[in-house]
Amino acid sequence: MEFSFGASASKILNTTGFSSLEGGDVIMLLVACLLLYLAVWKKFEPLLLLPIGFGCLLANIPMSMMASTDAGGLLNFFYQGVKHEVLPPLVFLGVGALTDFGPLLANPATLLLGAAAQVGVYATLIGAVLLGFNMHEASAIGIIGGADGPTSIFIASKLAPHLLAPIAVAAYSYMSLVPLIQPPIMKLLTTEKERKIKMKQLKPISKTVKILFPVVVTIVCCLMLPGVTPLLGMLMLGNLFRESGVTARLHETAETHLINIVTIFLALAVGSSMTADSFLRVETLKIIVLGLLAFSIATAGGVLFGKLMCKMTGGRVNPLIGSAGVSAVPMAARVSQKVGADTDPSNFLLMHAMGPNVAGVIGSAVAAGVFISLFGDTTPIDQHAAIADVIGTVEPGIKAAIAQVAGAIHH
Amino acid sequence: MEASFLAAVNVSILAMAVIFTVLVILIFTIQVLVKLIPYEAPPPAPPRNQTAAPASGDHDDHVAAITATLAMHMGKSPNEFRIVNISQR
Repeated sequence: MEFSFGASASKILNTTGFSSLEGGDVIMLLVACLLLYLAVWKKFEPLLLLPIGFGCLLANIPMSMMASTDAGGLLNFFYQGVKHEVLPPLVFLGVGALTDFGPLLANPATLLLGAAAQVGVYATLIGAVLLGFNMHEASAIGIIGGADGPTSIFIASKLAPHLLAPIAVAAYSYMSLVPLIQPPIMKLLTTEKERKIKMKQLKPISKTVKILFPVVVTIVCCLMLPGVTPLLGMLMLGNLFRESGVTARLHETAETHLINIVTIFLALAVGSSMTADSFLRVETLKIIVLGLLAFSIATAGGVLFGKLMCKMTGGRVNPLIGSAGVSAVPMAARVSQKVGADTDPSNFLLMHAMGPNVAGVIGSAVAAGVFISLFGDTTPIDQHAAIADVIGTVEPGIKAAIAQVAGAIHH
Repeated sequence: MEASFLAAVNVSILAMAVIFTVLVILIFTIQVLVKLIPYEAPPPAPPRNQTAAPASGDHDDHVAAITATLAMHMGKSPNEFRIVNISQR
């Protein structure tokens, strides 16, 4: 083999990333750095924005094979977990293990606040349609108003995978901005007298009810909206691990190591989908504006329904807890507590706000279920086709042979 | 565009109705559960064990020694205070 120094040096130079670096890549590298800055120095949802930012950084290095679309690349494998809807439900398993539904069970009427806050989802859906998105895309954008990252990713990957990156970034960015977005809206829509309302202490709940709750929710909600079963089923399984008291090891794993590992995979996969082609579009700007609208309307919807409940109960409900119906656990509940304490430092709303807060998680999952029922493909997937998607195309002859063997085993 | 807008409004109204229906069913289910299985307070924890008085006359010697030590530590006369109880930590 002939070896020429000049030719080899030229070959090395041609295989560096610099030789293929384009304007879009440079902009995306800057976006990645901005996300890393927001995560590290501004502490904006660092557990998610940091790996998302770094995934974006990796994906936009030319020839690194780290974009979600680079078949055979490392992050392409992680992305299969998003594409096949594996990772968001696993995050929900951890969330369920972390969540205490006690405040919700003690005051079940607060579920209505979780439902009312979903108005942000649908107002945004209408806004998105007016801005030219189709119904599938508008649904995926609207769910940002549910303030639930895994749900947003789940719906986006199902209904509008090409918009996954901007939707995920908008959802997590606004979730971190909840303490800035919500208080002005809450103060604008409530009077000082309403903000000072002190709520009655929550009654204790039997351990058996706490154990039965996840089973009942799974049966009721998943029978009504089967499309939501992966999300809600995992949420409730995680909660059953917590409340049953007989699976301490599974509970501990789900609420710590599992959710941490899955978050790394999920966030890197989302970051890897942030390439110049998918992100540098006018649609991204529209989604960011619509996301803010979704959060604001969801907050307003919750507070206004809280006011209605306040009137109907003769002033026993502080409307500030309504804003916690947007999910974003537990940050939204903390905001209710803070705004209440700003008006009256002796008013403790945190536990009361946790009810609508966890109701918001169920509410946004139900909203996602409605979208899946309306626009998702709920027909069973052909097993062989699903395998082919992961391991490559299966020859028709081999496919028939596999079917024959599977049939023989079955019989 | 108008057709899409109307479709979006219809979807929104329908979806909100479904969400409220599902959650109202859940509220009633929870209320039934809470009514059927009321909370029962756990039995009170047993009182902490107190050190039983030694059968021998060592007890008085111990009290005297502790009293003298405390008096010296606090700079008071042993008559100014009295040890009424010694419990195990």
